[in-house]
Parts: sequence; structure tokens; C-alpha cells
Amino acid sequence: MNKKRLGLISFFVLLFSMNAFTQHISDLRLNEMLINNVDNYIDEYGRHVPWIEIFNSAYNNIDVAECYLTNDTTGLADGSGIKNWYRIPKGDPKTLLSQRSFVVFYMDNAPLYGTFHVNFDPCEEGSSNYVALISSNGRTLIDIFEFPEQLRTSTEHSYGYFDDGIKGVEDANGNTVSNKGFLDYFTPGSTNSVFMGLTKSEKVAQEDPYGLGLAFISMSVVFIALILIYLMLKLFARMNRGKAAKPAHGEVKTDAVVPKTKVIAEEFTGEELAAITMALHLHVSGQHDEESEVITIETPSAHYSPWSQKQLTFKQSPYKK
Amino acid sequence: MNFIQFFTEGITQFFTYTGFANASWGNLVMIVIGLAFIAMAIIKDYEPLLLIPIGFGIILGNIPFVDGLQIGVYEDGSVLNYLYFGVLKGVYPPLIFLGIGAMTDFSALISNPKLILIGAAAQFGIFGAYIIALLLDFTPQEAGAIGIIGGADGPTAIFLSSKLAPSMMGAIAISAYSYMALVPVIQPPIMRLLTTSKERVIKMRPPRVVTHREKVLFPLLCILLTAFLVPSGLPLLGMLFFGNLLKESSVTKRLANTASGPMIDVVTILIGLTVGCSTQASTFLKVESLMIFGLGAASFVLATAAGVSFVKIFNLFLKEGNKINPLIGNAGVSAVPDSARVSQVEGLKYNKTNYLLMHAMGPNVAGVIGSAVAAGILLSFLY
Repeated sequence: MNKKRLGLISFFVLLFSMNAFTQHISDLRLNEMLINNVDNYIDEYGRHVPWIEIFNSAYNNIDVAECYLTNDTTGLADGSGIKNWYRIPKGDPKTLLSQRSFVVFYMDNAPLYGTFHVNFDPCEEGSSNYVALISSNGRTLIDIFEFPEQLRTSTEHSYGYFDDGIKGVEDANGNTVSNKGFLDYFTPGSTNSVFMGLTKSEKVAQEDPYGLGLAFISMSVVFIALILIYLMLKLFARMNRGKAAKPAHGEVKTDAVVPKTKVIAEEFTGEELAAITMALHLHVSGQHDEESEVITIETPSAHYSPWSQKQLTFKQSPYKK
Repeated sequence: MNFIQFFTEGITQFFTYTGFANASWGNLVMIVIGLAFIAMAIIKDYEPLLLIPIGFGIILGNIPFVDGLQIGVYEDGSVLNYLYFGVLKGVYPPLIFLGIGAMTDFSALISNPKLILIGAAAQFGIFGAYIIALLLDFTPQEAGAIGIIGGADGPTAIFLSSKLAPSMMGAIAISAYSYMALVPVIQPPIMRLLTTSKERVIKMRPPRVVTHREKVLFPLLCILLTAFLVPSGLPLLGMLFFGNLLKESSVTKRLANTASGPMIDVVTILIGLTVGCSTQASTFLKVESLMIFGLGAASFVLATAAGVSFVKIFNLFLKEGNKINPLIGNAGVSAVPDSARVSQVEGLKYNKTNYLLMHAMGPNVAGVIGSAVAAGILLSFLY
């Protein structure tokens, strides 16, 4: 009983799996086309030739190999037209389209140039105003792409679906209308739904013409950033204060020196204090009295200030004790 | 006869290649400006490390020549063009910030954290100039690049203008560095105008001792706080704090010395020279450049006024004894250390024992961080 149930489950799982991985060839769409290719997409030989784009609208891989491309569907009913159509060769890995991807075929009537060069040219006299994609059985029409006569002369716009592979959209009245037309941008091998919106700068210019909004936001962000640092430093100070409150072992805490410092600061000028500090520094660091240079507190004759020397305004690099 | 003809033709042809044959009035004007920069640096000692390379670069960039010889800064493949790449792609400014970070001691800021807010207030100069530039019909991108002059930070100005308005970069950089050199001339009248004699003699508490641990933690926490908030400022902020960590960690002394010494010197030479070269008369002598200079001056004035005014307002909320001398408000612009030096000089004028330099260094280095953050914000909105 269990074996039978297991077998049934396995069968259905296999069935669904097969369904999931089945290639939906009908999901292929002829998506965009350009005939009068003057300065647009070039083929691998550096030529500007008419091109058509196929879009895999499915969410699984589809191989377009062995399908047919043509601009003359005569013989479609009984499959007798296959000898005149371009059969996409088998064996080229590039014919396997991954989900939602694109491939471009050159309509240059030069099939010997490679897999993606078909055997017809829409520029030829008397050629039809459509291109058809037919399945490998030669009888099933996968997609047909009709185009207006103006496409033959258009150099500025290609023709295709505004949204990749979507043939009709609802208008304001709920009626389905064609989603096909001349596109603003050539997009061979990529999506047609190119949104060329405003640049950031244009958007700012439009929404904030006087710059007040940007100034307010920016100043706020600058303040927030620096307030965050301020809070961090306050935390540092608090931590440090805790340490400073505790006198080191054996030390006697006294603030008797502070009033003296105040008196000194008020009695002497800056130059005198600088000289005293320098003398103390030399004394503490044990430097010899007889220096090779003259130390003076006189104002230099040139227009010069030690503060104009950047290196003097910063402390020496610390050394590890 | 043939030889004489060949000789005269050769001489005539050679003459067409010389600078004399190709010179324009614009070139001569720019060469005079370059010489003035060099004179200012040597005679007046105004930012010599910057004005001499820039001044010489202006001369180099305005030597007239025939196009196509691959010698001009704008000609593909020329040596100057290769060096200019570092400016154009914003490579040099972050490297300079690395050196600045390795040179800067943030102790003044760490010991008195409230000073950092002055650095934020002074950034109003940037956005004030941005608003004025928009009113003068500059695009938002151009206005942003011009406004950053008010940050008084040459590398930041170059970095931002290379992204937002590359065609204006020469004028913006020259303007920024010129005004930085003129900080001692521009700022004092504004400081005096906005302060009372009583405010000018306010004595500030001496800064507390900052521990080694605080100094090490500062760059690490700052980069995390600022870069997460404004990731677009990462090239500048990242390098600034990285350089500072090299210095403060005390175990990478060699790296810190290289970053703050030979490396920043090399990059300063390259950036100064190539920015100077980029001011070819044909691209620089325009009404637009004059407007940039005017707006640059306005942004400096606004930044200084904003910094000083902020301190005055801030003082209303501070207790007696904790008040800040408004003469350090000007140091919120990041012209390190010139604007702090101006605070010191002005402070000593009114009280010979009032040394404001180390207090002013707090907002000064905060200004460096603030202008880098402001540049990041402008970049994220406009680029």
C-alpha cells in the first residue's frame, strides 16, 4: 500500500517537474526591429544591417535553435515553406536564451555569416511588412511582427513593444490597445522599457528651484553627523572624568597650583611666557646650553609667523612608551 | 638660392610653432596672474606650499603652442594630461586628506566637544553660496561645486567640482585656494563687525588632557558615525580618519610620517601644478569664472559670519565661565590652521594673555570633517 502511494507521489512529482522545466517556445516574442540601420547596432563584421530582436518572456531557458524566421509565411499551413525559411542552426550555445533575455538576428540575407544572420532582407524590393517566428515543426506560428511602411525609412527610431513582449495594454476606458510603436531609444539586446527619467540634478532643479530645501536638509545632516561625534566625545569626557577623580596611588590631590598659574598668566606677556616655557623645556629635556642655533623672542624682521608653518601647529607624533 | 629659400621658409615655419606666434591676450593675462600668485607666496608668505605650484602651473598651462603636439594638459596622451588624471578622477584629494589626517591632532576637539558644533554651523557658507548661485542661473550641480568653496578646503573643492562640474574645476580650485590664502584679510573685519568688545576678551577654560585611548578611538568611531550617515563622503572622510589612526595608534609611526610628509608633499606638488595648468586662458577667462570668484568670496563671508554668529547664540545657553569666545567662530571653516591663527591674532589684539589658538583648532578640525560631510551630501543629491 505504502509502495503504491509512494509510486503515485513520485509520478506526480516527476510530472510537475517536467512541466516546470518544459520549454515554452510559445513564450518567445519578436520584440524590436530596425530596418534603416545607418549608424546604429553593428554586426560582428562591422556592418550596419537591419536587425530584429527576440525576447524570451518566460521565466525559464528556451532554445530557439531549429525554429524558423521568415518574412514570407507561404506554406505555413502544411509546413511546406520550411525550405525557404531561415532555420536557426542547432549546436550554437548562444541560441539558448535564459529567462527574460534577448537575442538579436541580423536580417542581411547572409546566412553563411553565422547563426544570427538570416536568409532574407526586409530592404529587398517586394518584401512583406512582417517577420514571423515559426516553431521547429514548420506549422506553428510562434509570433508575427508586423511593422508600418515608415519603419523602412526611419533612422531615429526602432519599432517594437513599449513593454517587452506585451502586445496589448488597457487604456483609460478599459479597452485593450496595441502596445507597439516607434520607440524613443534603440535597445537591441536589452529591454525596451527604458525609463529615461530626470537626472538627480534636474529633479533637484525642478523640485527645489531656490535650493532652500537642499540647504536645510544638508545643514541638518551636517549637524546630525557632528552632534553624533559631539555625543561620543561627551562620553569620552565622562569616562575620563571618572578616572581623573581617582588620584593615583600615593598621590595627594591638591589644587594649590591653580591660583598661581592664573597670576602668572596675567602678569607676563606672551613672549615672556614663551621664553620661560622654552627654558623649562630645555631644562627638563636636559638639552645642552650651548646650542648651534640662537633662540630669541624678538619678532622676526620678515613678515613671518611660526603659526603659518603648518607642522608647528600640530603636536609631534606620539611614541609608544 | 635654394638654401636661402629653405632657410627662410624653415625659420618662418619654426616661428609659427613658437609661443610668440600663438600667444593671445588671454594667455598673457593668465601668465601675469600666475606670477602674482608666486609673488604673493614669496613676498607675503600666503600659502606658499600651494600658491607656488599653482602659480607655476598657471604659467605652464598658458604657454601658447600649436595643438596636436601632445603637450597640453587637455591633450590626450600628454604628460600633463596623465598627471591631471588624478585631479579629474578625484584621486589626489583623498590622498591629501590622508596626509592631513596624519598631521592633525584632534585633542582640542576631544577635550572640548561643544566646539565641534561651530564646525557644523560654518558650513552654512557652502549652502548659502549654493542658494545664491542658483539665483544666478547656475545649474544645481554647478551651484553645489561653487558653494563648496565656502568649506575653505581645497582638496574637497577639487574633489566635488571634478564630479559635479569638471569644466569649472580650475576656477573653483583657484578661487578656493586664493581665498584660503586671503583668510587673514577676509575674516577679521567680519569677526570685528559681529562681536562686541566684551565678547572678544572672553577667556576660555584650558583644555583638559586627552588620553591616548581617546585619541585612538576617535578616528575609528568617527568614521563609523559619519560614513554610515553620509557614505558618499567616504573617500575624504575615510582617508582623513585613516591617516589620523596611523598617527594616533603610535605603532605605525613610519606610515604616519610618510603620509604626513613625503606623500602629501608629492600629491600637493601634483595637484597644485595640474590645477594651475588647467586654467588655460581659453577655458578660464570667462565671465563665469569671475562669477565663481564672486560667489567664492560670498561663501567665505557667509561661513565666517555663520560661525561667529553661532557662537554668540550658543553663548546664550552656556553658563558664565563656560562661554566661548566668538573670535574662534571664524575657525569653523576648514582652512587649517590659517583661520585658527586668525582667531589667535585677533584674540591677542584685545587681550595680550588670551591665547585662542588651541581653542580655535577645535572648530577648525571640525570644519574639515564638516566640509567633507557637506561634500558627501551634495554628491549624493546632485551626482
